[in-house]
Amino acid sequence: METLPQISLPARILGLAIGIFLTALGVGFGFAQGLSVQIVILSAIATLALFTWAWRYVIGQFLDAESTAVVEDGPSPLRRAWLQYRWPLLGLALVLLAFLLLSLTVEGFFNIWNVISLLILIAILVLTRTLGRQFQQNRSAFIGIMVLAGLFSVGSMNIEGFSSGNNIKSMLLFASFLGIASVGQTLVALLGGLDLSIPFIIGAANVGLLYLISLGVPPWLAVIIVLVIGTLFGVANGFLSYKLQGQALIVTLGTGFAISGGVQIITSIGTAYSGNVFGTVPPWLSNISAMNGSTFGLPFPPVIAIWALIALVLIVGLRTTVYGRYLYALGVNRTSASRVMISELRYWVIAYALSGFFAAFTGGLLLGWSGGGFIGVGDQYLFLTLAAVVVGGTSLLGGAGGYGFTVIGVLVLQVLSSFLVGIGLDFKWQQFIFGLLILPMVALYARSPHIRTQI
Amino acid sequence: MSLATDAPATAPARTGMQGGRSNPFLLMPITLFFALLSIAVIRTPNLMSAAGIGAAIIVVTPLILATYALMASTISGRGTIDLSVGPLIGFINVTMIQLHAAGLVESPIPVFLYCMAVGAAYQFIFALIVIYVRVQPIIVSLSGYLALSGINLVILPRPGGMAPPFMAEWGYGTSIFSPVLIILLLATAAWLLFTATAFYTHLRLMGSDERAAYTSGVPITVVRIGAHLISGCFAGLAAICFTALISSGDPSQGTTYTLIAVTALVLGGASLSGGRGGVFGSALGALNLYMITYVLSTFNFGTVQSFVTNLAYGTILVVSLLLTLLIPVIQRHIRNFSPLLYFVALSVVVLGIILHATFDYAALGTAGAVVAGPLDMQAALTGPLEIATLSPETQALRVAAAPFVFAVLLLAVIAVFLRLAVGQSSRRSVAPAVAVIVAALVLAGAYVMREGAGAPAPTPETEATE
Repeated sequence: METLPQISLPARILGLAIGIFLTALGVGFGFAQGLSVQIVILSAIATLALFTWAWRYVIGQFLDAESTAVVEDGPSPLRRAWLQYRWPLLGLALVLLAFLLLSLTVEGFFNIWNVISLLILIAILVLTRTLGRQFQQNRSAFIGIMVLAGLFSVGSMNIEGFSSGNNIKSMLLFASFLGIASVGQTLVALLGGLDLSIPFIIGAANVGLLYLISLGVPPWLAVIIVLVIGTLFGVANGFLSYKLQGQALIVTLGTGFAISGGVQIITSIGTAYSGNVFGTVPPWLSNISAMNGSTFGLPFPPVIAIWALIALVLIVGLRTTVYGRYLYALGVNRTSASRVMISELRYWVIAYALSGFFAAFTGGLLLGWSGGGFIGVGDQYLFLTLAAVVVGGTSLLGGAGGYGFTVIGVLVLQVLSSFLVGIGLDFKWQQFIFGLLILPMVALYARSPHIRTQI
Repeated sequence: MSLATDAPATAPARTGMQGGRSNPFLLMPITLFFALLSIAVIRTPNLMSAAGIGAAIIVVTPLILATYALMASTISGRGTIDLSVGPLIGFINVTMIQLHAAGLVESPIPVFLYCMAVGAAYQFIFALIVIYVRVQPIIVSLSGYLALSGINLVILPRPGGMAPPFMAEWGYGTSIFSPVLIILLLATAAWLLFTATAFYTHLRLMGSDERAAYTSGVPITVVRIGAHLISGCFAGLAAICFTALISSGDPSQGTTYTLIAVTALVLGGASLSGGRGGVFGSALGALNLYMITYVLSTFNFGTVQSFVTNLAYGTILVVSLLLTLLIPVIQRHIRNFSPLLYFVALSVVVLGIILHATFDYAALGTAGAVVAGPLDMQAALTGPLEIATLSPETQALRVAAAPFVFAVLLLAVIAVFLRLAVGQSSRRSVAPAVAVIVAALVLAGAYVMREGAGAPAPTPETEATE
């Protein structure tokens, strides 16, 4: 942070003046639309603060570039600045153009909220390009948090009830399912592997747990059995994919097919309903993951607390324990890790075993949420866990990232999908926009170096 | 980002000692193919009829072409596993249906041009992103998967629509020589021609070691774009065959096709880390998946049928991957493994089974299901597999034919040894001649069996001379 350049007084005054002008514009619009005074004041402050902040960094960057350009020979400072910042500038121009087009074509699009949303969007873009450079280590986390904040503020301004307690609760609820399912994917990705069997184990655990309960097994015992079996599947995955280095994707896919097929065969023997299991879910299990559940009397489902606990343990654990540090060591360079007597097989198997355990755990939680066993309940997690890991910023090559990043990724995906639902887009549009957004988000921080620098 | 440099170097360590075109990784798919084929033929002899083969070709061709599309980009390395191949096929399918409904594409030539152009354009963008944005290809393909499967549902919310009328008869599958087969053969031939070019050598070099390719002056940008363009054209062809198969539009087949194509590619012995793969293996992998489903459908599992199929898919996939671990061991003992010879030898055996299944069962008529009398070793071994049972005449016939079959097998074994002996010497151009000899032996054997059975034999030449 100490490398930030100072900007001159006139530039600061100019920035402040423009900011105040924009704020006045916003306030004028606000009153013209007859909004309540509090909201207008709040948004005015937000606009001013964001603008001055952004101004400070943008101008600071430009001044810095100019000062170095003056010293050296070469193209003119303006051209240098253009060369250095052409992509962000083009992006800004593109966003502005899109906004202009939308305002001209869509009736009623040009209102105060959309203008503020635009400002926030631009602020995020500018911040990620300028301030993001200062964070060499945790850049993806910073970008993720910025996107999260932007999405959330835009959402709560544009959508009725977006920031209400209920909506936040439901967002957190679904985020916890995805977050717990992504634990394994994160650990495995830290080693440089992939686990595509997660959705199949989720579905199998979901069906299997209800099947065991309907057989008359005590629910607590059934949960333990399912978790143990899930872990065993994970161990098998670990051994197989360790033996077949580089083919982890397809091995776990194969075991996933086999597991879901096998569990379905077992559960459908003797019943007429193939694939679906019916039974009664014990009330404590529904309480854990239902919307109206309560934690020690507090009005939120315990699964959120469970997720928070898991996240805390994992983040701290990966940072401080021997296991966590060895995991990173193996992910960065397995040859040198094995030279210092770190057993690769052991850590590989443990990571996959944890993956299986948490997948089975998610399956059980989803049973409590839905109340009926369904093998396809995990299907959407096939690529969503991968997307959460990738958006969060954990490298699929291993060694970089962590569970904290995945938490941010999960929250971004969840808030985004909630936002898209709020503005009236259904599942197919959500998926489309997810797909289009993953690429630029990853491109902001996970670009690999050019081949000529790798030789 | 220095960690990125270490990862790709570990994979292609053991590809050094194989020379020429002998590819020991074809051992698994060939074995599996003939095992499944013989089981399928024994279970249901009517697979080997014009309608049976025709239907199989119609169903399996989109899968094979999808696997080709995946293969072309996977060879180019960097872990390019194009997860979006299924949704891409779906995208071409639904847009073509909608354009046809709007009256824009009617005749074959625009349809073909449109499909291949869309596929190639998508893959071109894919390649540009991989090259210039330098994001990992699997993330690009994940992104494409989500975006395309979303937009497919927007374009065509539910399965429906009409395929262009010229495709209407393609999907019947009543004869072997349908246009779909011609598309498949042309696509395969195009790839085989492509393998003769220097471009293909560059592609394989880039796939196994991109840095080595770059330092030795291979234009890796051009090569990568080229690989993706080929992949896109294959995807377009796969979409056409898929449309012919279902005669309508279906937006939601994406997941299935992606997973099946990846599975087929790996079953066919290709390496997901790049540099190794071919049409022969890919086609066999896709065929194997079809045969697994087919064989399992002959056993009646009732409501759990699809679960059993899933279980079998997964198990066979994992087991066959584990068996590839044995390949270095095999390679140490058999230096000059020839997939061609292995294929010919196994096809001789399976041809015998096909002849047996086709003609012996026809002579049987409808016999009872239970073999009475003392325990027959042969019946005990083959009984669980065979639907019909043997009548005494056939039993006698079989005993009479046994020496001939034995002789044929003996000659085949001799041929194998001949091939091995030749392989030890420095001359390697005798393989086709040996194959011809074996084929002639097969013909002779078939003639003998025909004389014995007194029934009209089919023409086994097509099978044997491959």
